[in-house]
Amino acid sequence: MEDRDKTLTFFESEGGFLGVKLGDNTYDRVRAVRLFPFTDPAKYISIRVGNDMGEELSVIEDLAALSPEQRELVERDLDLNYFLPQIKEIISIKDEYGYAYFHVVTDKGPVRFAINMGGTNVTKLSETRLLITDINENRFEVRDVTKLTKKEQRKLDLFL
Amino acid sequence: MKKELFMKELEKKLSGLSENVGRLVSSCRFDLSKDGNYMSGIAFLTERYLGTADVVEVEEIIHGNPEAIPPSARKKPGKAPLVTPEPERYENIRLFEIECIKEVRIERLFASSILAARCADTDTGKETDVYIASFSGIYMAEMNSFLKETEAAVKNIESRASQSTKIPGDSSDIQDSLKRDASEKNDSEDRDNGRSGHDHDGENESGVPGLKRKRTIFARVMRYLFRYKVSVITLFVSYILAALVSLVWPYLSGTVLYDGVLAKNDEVLGEFGFAGEYFLALIVLVIAIAGARLLQLGITILQQVLMARVTAKTVRDLKQDIFKSMGDLSLRFFTAKQTGSLMTRVRSDADRVTDFFLDGFPFLFVHSFTIISTFIVMFRLNKGLALVSCVLLPVLVFLSVKLRPALWTLYGKRHRAERSVTTKVNDNLTGARVVKAFGREDEESESFAKKSRTLMTAEVDIVRYNNRFTILYNLVAEISNIWVWIVGVILLIDFDSINLGTLITFIGYVGALNGPLNFFSYIFRTWTDSINSAQRMFEIIDAVPDIKEAENPIRLTNPRGEVELSGVTFGYESFRPVLKDITLHVHAGENLGIVGRSGAGKSTLVNLISRLYDTDEGTIKIDGHDVRDIAFSDLRRSVAMVSQDTYVFMGSVADNIAYADKTASRADIIRAARLAGAHDFITAMPDGYDTIIGAGGKDLSGGERQRISIARAILADPKILILDEATSSVDTKTERIIQDSISYLAKGRTTLSIAHRLSTLKGADRLIVIDNGRIVEEGTHDELYAMDGIYHMLSDLQTGFLSLEEI
Repeated sequence: MEDRDKTLTFFESEGGFLGVKLGDNTYDRVRAVRLFPFTDPAKYISIRVGNDMGEELSVIEDLAALSPEQRELVERDLDLNYFLPQIKEIISIKDEYGYAYFHVVTDKGPVRFAINMGGTNVTKLSETRLLITDINENRFEVRDVTKLTKKEQRKLDLFL
Repeated sequence: MKKELFMKELEKKLSGLSENVGRLVSSCRFDLSKDGNYMSGIAFLTERYLGTADVVEVEEIIHGNPEAIPPSARKKPGKAPLVTPEPERYENIRLFEIECIKEVRIERLFASSILAARCADTDTGKETDVYIASFSGIYMAEMNSFLKETEAAVKNIESRASQSTKIPGDSSDIQDSLKRDASEKNDSEDRDNGRSGHDHDGENESGVPGLKRKRTIFARVMRYLFRYKVSVITLFVSYILAALVSLVWPYLSGTVLYDGVLAKNDEVLGEFGFAGEYFLALIVLVIAIAGARLLQLGITILQQVLMARVTAKTVRDLKQDIFKSMGDLSLRFFTAKQTGSLMTRVRSDADRVTDFFLDGFPFLFVHSFTIISTFIVMFRLNKGLALVSCVLLPVLVFLSVKLRPALWTLYGKRHRAERSVTTKVNDNLTGARVVKAFGREDEESESFAKKSRTLMTAEVDIVRYNNRFTILYNLVAEISNIWVWIVGVILLIDFDSINLGTLITFIGYVGALNGPLNFFSYIFRTWTDSINSAQRMFEIIDAVPDIKEAENPIRLTNPRGEVELSGVTFGYESFRPVLKDITLHVHAGENLGIVGRSGAGKSTLVNLISRLYDTDEGTIKIDGHDVRDIAFSDLRRSVAMVSQDTYVFMGSVADNIAYADKTASRADIIRAARLAGAHDFITAMPDGYDTIIGAGGKDLSGGERQRISIARAILADPKILILDEATSSVDTKTERIIQDSISYLAKGRTTLSIAHRLSTLKGADRLIVIDNGRIVEEGTHDELYAMDGIYHMLSDLQTGFLSLEEI
């Protein structure tokens, strides 16, 4: 792929959003989008104009190639864009009337949420990786099911 | 309540500020920070400002919201709320003058949303997007109403500026906001309906196959079982052992206990070397009885473990064989069978077959053994009583042989009924749009009811028929039991020709026969059922693929991409040829366009080149080699096809694109997607190239699927690229993008493209027109147009149509 990301210079706009300078053009509002959010979150970052998936300015092949300050700016935008708490501990899962009530501890703190049992709300990203979407369309990730205790895995068995 | 408390607190806080912010109008909680972490915050609206503040919680809170749970599923009220409010103080108050705000909106991110505003600089008038707050799905509804109030306030200030007064929350404002909401919702994309249709039983099921056939089926299933010889033999031995133990037990607890030990019969005890030692004999006997029971238990456990293992393995083997055979079969097989019926075969038929062969068949053996050996022992104990207890058996055998064939038919009937119900449901789900569009809900429902009724009748018939078996067998068992008691007691009292112990042993044996007899009452049903299933399964395993790889295939390591058809005739049914005597030479690197009316045979022609079917007459050569001689792997590598019915497999977008080449790098995948015009819509999906699509994943529109298939073909990097209406489901703009990419790709590659839209074929070096199975015109666009034939007509029709459209 052609290397087009060299001339990008990121900055924080007055409004607090990610902006970028590309050649003579300045864009006050761009969005950083991960092309492989699960399998390679730190590589292939698409930079798009505006807030609604506008034109693609460039794809950063590897964030590590950016200077630390530039990288931090992009990562901040990514963190905002991809809010995905990771479930570290399962306190309880109860199922009742077609809904399952989760009480878990995530890397962002303890959370309770409910999912619909009927649909495909628990997606297997790989054999050991799960993505859970609750009834409010919030998403949670279990990075590695085998890292949970046997007891916690049994609780999750209902969905696997 | 909670909210009021917040407002009050906030008002207090705001009144302490140096500037006058005005009265507090509304507020809304939010839960995410700008760097993507949970936090507690509050957005508020005063008469003059839109603002946010961080809420410092007194204690650690659990995020999420119990009220997010739908009312139908909500638990009893009165439970402690999960979000504990009582804020201690507010920090980091940010204020935005409403006067400067031009627009406020909620932007949906991939997993959360942000509230953003467009603000104008009071001096320069320059407008910038400003981040206000971000929140998870829980606050979406609340934030929406907050947004409406804020919008109303913004409008209010604007209109006040232009001297016309408007009350905040004016109905027209709300209407505007509502309109906005509606437009923000994702427009549902045009989903491809997929194929629906195939409704009729297109499959042959022999009603009552001959016994011989059934025997071979039986033998074949046995072969699957015997792959696990050791386990199966151990199982059989354990069954016989169990039967023997069950034979010993009544003898010990009857004859030996009563007639030997309790009757102090030295003759009997002498046989075991316990003459005179009654107490010791009793203890040994009790131990022996208990031991026999324990042994039985141990054997049962062993049996269950072994059985579970062998069953699981055999089911797996059967399923794998079916799946593999299905993969080997040619396209013709799949077009002739219903997919639903194939699914049943892989899934439940294998289960049913193994069920019988492990849960039924060994017992058939064991129980026969038990019955026969029991009778032998009974005859040796007392011939008269033995005769009495088995007098009814011949009746039983006669009746079961007579009743069985009907059962066979009934099971076949139920299977067909089941399948038509499944197909009906499937059709209605996939074709829901058509049903709705034509308003056929009632008719569909009626026709479904009819099919379900047939299924119900079939089920009831089977149960009714089975009941006859059960009743019959139980009757025989019960009658025999009573019979033995009556005759035995008469023999004991009147004739004294029998001992009490012998009678009790006999009763024990008759009781022991109950189990086996009961088993025989239902085993015929399972037998029939499973042989039925097995027959259906083997039908697939046996189906001979009509397209086979040559025995010594030619390897095509570095293909040039030259295609040559000479005298090709082909028909899906041999009596009705679709292609007639086609001779065509496509040079390496040529871009050939194929034009023709619907049903003229265009798709058939390209299907033959990739050898999805074999020709009836004539040959097709790639680089001078007959396609029938070329190794499958090489043929598939050199020819890639994008057809009208695109298919995505369950997996991520990246996996789907890299289907032909699992080793493709990410950069290659992205490049292929870009060339296929798929990159933008893939990026717009929350999970990008990692989005799971296909069954159970995200639903893609027809055009999106088509573009993924094109990307797949591009990545495969074939020498011969076949595009069969590949861009029919995409809009003209996207088509142009794809066309450009294809003409870029076409360099050094042979391309055959079929299209209805003639504009699609603009880049073609040469065009052929197929009509009624023959090539009728051939040449460049200009040459063909000048010919005044079919191409001219089609071209005129389309340009006429297009110009009409433009008007």
